[in-house]
Amino acid sequence: MIEENKKGKEHPLSILAQEAYQVFSDMGFEIVTGPELESEWYNFDVLNVPKDHPARDMQDTFFIKDEIGKVLRTHTTSVTARSIEQAVKEGRIPCAFVSIGKVFRNEATDSTHEMQFYQIDGAMVGENISIADMKGVLSNYYKKILGDDVEIQFRPSFFPFTEPSIEVFAKFKGKWLEMGGSGMLHPNVLRNLGLDPAKVQGFAFGHGFDRPAMIKWKIPDVRLFYQGDIRLNQFN
Amino acid sequence: MLISYNWLKWYIPEVPEVNKLIDIFNYHLCEMESLEKMSNGDTVFDIKVLPNRAHDLLSHQGMACELASLLNIKYLDPTPKYKIPKSKPTTLQIKVESEKCRRYMGRIIKGVKVGSSPKWVVEHLESIGQRSINNIVDAANLVMFDCGQPTHAFDLEKMDSVIIVREAKEGESIITLDNKEVKFKNSNMVIADTKNVLAVAGIKGGKIAEVDNNTKNIILEVANFDPISVRKTAQDLNIFTDARKRFENDLSSELASYAMREFSALILEMCPDAIFEDVVDIYPQKQEIRELSFSADRISKILGLSVSVDKIKDILKKYNFKYKEEKGDFEIVVPQLRLDLQIEEDMAEEIGRILGYDKIKEKVSKINFKIRQNEIYVKTFSARTKLLNDGYSEIMNSTFRNTGEISVLASASDKKFLRTNLTDGLKESLKLNLINTPLLGVNEIKIFEIGTVFKKTGEEMHVAYGDKKEIKEMKLKEFFKKVSSEFLREKVLPLENLRQDLKEQKFKMWSLFPFIARDIAVWVPEDISCIDVEKIIKENIGDMVIKGPELFDEFKKDGKISYAFRLVFQSYDRTLIDTEVNDIMTKISNKIKDKNGWQVR
Repeated sequence: MIEENKKGKEHPLSILAQEAYQVFSDMGFEIVTGPELESEWYNFDVLNVPKDHPARDMQDTFFIKDEIGKVLRTHTTSVTARSIEQAVKEGRIPCAFVSIGKVFRNEATDSTHEMQFYQIDGAMVGENISIADMKGVLSNYYKKILGDDVEIQFRPSFFPFTEPSIEVFAKFKGKWLEMGGSGMLHPNVLRNLGLDPAKVQGFAFGHGFDRPAMIKWKIPDVRLFYQGDIRLNQFN
Repeated sequence: MLISYNWLKWYIPEVPEVNKLIDIFNYHLCEMESLEKMSNGDTVFDIKVLPNRAHDLLSHQGMACELASLLNIKYLDPTPKYKIPKSKPTTLQIKVESEKCRRYMGRIIKGVKVGSSPKWVVEHLESIGQRSINNIVDAANLVMFDCGQPTHAFDLEKMDSVIIVREAKEGESIITLDNKEVKFKNSNMVIADTKNVLAVAGIKGGKIAEVDNNTKNIILEVANFDPISVRKTAQDLNIFTDARKRFENDLSSELASYAMREFSALILEMCPDAIFEDVVDIYPQKQEIRELSFSADRISKILGLSVSVDKIKDILKKYNFKYKEEKGDFEIVVPQLRLDLQIEEDMAEEIGRILGYDKIKEKVSKINFKIRQNEIYVKTFSARTKLLNDGYSEIMNSTFRNTGEISVLASASDKKFLRTNLTDGLKESLKLNLINTPLLGVNEIKIFEIGTVFKKTGEEMHVAYGDKKEIKEMKLKEFFKKVSSEFLREKVLPLENLRQDLKEQKFKMWSLFPFIARDIAVWVPEDISCIDVEKIIKENIGDMVIKGPELFDEFKKDGKISYAFRLVFQSYDRTLIDTEVNDIMTKISNKIKDKNGWQVR
């Protein structure tokens, strides 16, 4: 008989998100969330991305019609910024946050690009938090979700909100793959969030989340995640 | 930015071989996106220069200088090679009427001979995909790709000898060198003479004073403009040029002197009989000399790597930074082109990337931070668990729709609105999945989505779930209220620590071609098990069945038993036709009929 399917099947990104949250919770990160329709302030200005600066071109932004100063968030770093700011107000420093959420970029879609996709963003702020901690945390994350044989690598990069800025690569099945940006929070960002850069420092990262899911399960096309076809839900 | 290996070699003859450079770029400087071996033996790299190094690395000299320091190899300074021409007093007048022009150097040269460029110039330009036009234009382009400073040459006969740098007047327009008319807004910066607009300042030259084959007398322009002004003007006019890219990222005004020397010397080389007039240099506010302090301790603390004072000194020496050091506290004079070096953290990056981030060892600090539960996360997780438990499968649909209350300004797609509900998307997914019911092997399609919707009043988290009969949608918090505390205690909380054995699962892509579903029901004697029947079917179905045979019905009557199976046929590379599936079904039927007491209903 056809088995009466008792339980529903989960979307692969939800499965992976649950795993990632677990990994970060175990490392002492608090799960946070934030709005998808974001102010330019939290999406750009607070993150040291000034108006009229070419750095804003790095991300193709969806601006909102008839609502000046509003955008669809281009990264979940806005959630990180909001969370650190709140933690400062509540005197909860040192702190560490992680969030996974939908982000939007106005670009043509293909098998590796979607206008909406998921990002995992996190930060750890304290007196002595360094790039070495960032390496430890990200290495553990990728080993846990992609397998113990995964290695990670840091390469020079540029983001207005971090200094130094680093691009993270992960070696999966013998190939180096670009996972996303990271770095030490820029002193201007720390100041914007109410912190004194002379006293605290911290790292932040914002990595694609669809990509690891795609390579983990060999899902060939990012668009499959957002088509509402439950043939995608093959894992439990 | 395209960089020619042979061009680099002019300045750094000891440059490592091509293959070694790939890693040097990627691990210490910026990404090498690709490389191409040319037929003339040169190799051309496509280097993704980072925005903070656009001040000094969008040029062959800049790149060579950086590599020379990084690799501690010899850099051949070309300056002495560029002869300073004898010059005489000039009639050129330059009026800078806007402070957005930070420097303007101009020079009249009379009696030039426009013609083809020397071979090396053509080779340099062609190696990086630039077309050789004539010696004067080529010299201007070469200077930009060589030292990073955009330059321009005007035909003096087509203008008067007054250069005015000013804001455009509303309604003014210009035909640019590529024969396009652009209309200015009044904040746009232009280069004009007393009568006409001659160029879009720092972005593109105009047709009026274009250098052509009959040009005799020229004005060289080497200028520097405010990056924001250039960016805004270029955005208004929708023009992308190599000059724009350099100016909008901010260039040092100091670079102009060197560029004028190189530009003049190149023209002297190409037109030895030309008469050079003195350079007019309007430079109201000289770029200040900046100092930057940092300590070895702080650098080490940021990197999480102990970097010794000697190591830092060694780096500063290789990079020719002037510095003072006392007990690990450094004070450096920032090189004029390095506008990116502003704060201590910039030096941490400089030292980190020069040493290589692979030197930093992993560490995980425990911090004194008490985690709180995030309300939205808990509610989302609970709702998901509840719906999965009730047999609903999860989907994620696009936020973008054809209608809605909030829309984006511009989109690469035709769907400009943000969804106001999840139901519309869920309905479409239901339709799609219902068609696929035979493939899914379930009796009914039940799906849900948890996601954000956007209304004039703001965004809300919603939950929608349903089947072909009905779809329900509500706010996440309302749904959460309905989840019993008993369910939360028993099912939600323990699940947080579940999830194993995910590693080995692999996704199987489905076929994009239509499927054909067929049922077959068989009467057999009561003592025959369904496995026996299934075996016969399996032996005869060929390789096009992607689901089944699946038993979906059985009943007994008069000492016989009926088994009904479903078969789903589908190919990964073509559309199956009815007749070929019919043939397979006939074959199966025949095999069944061959058995004693077996019958196809």
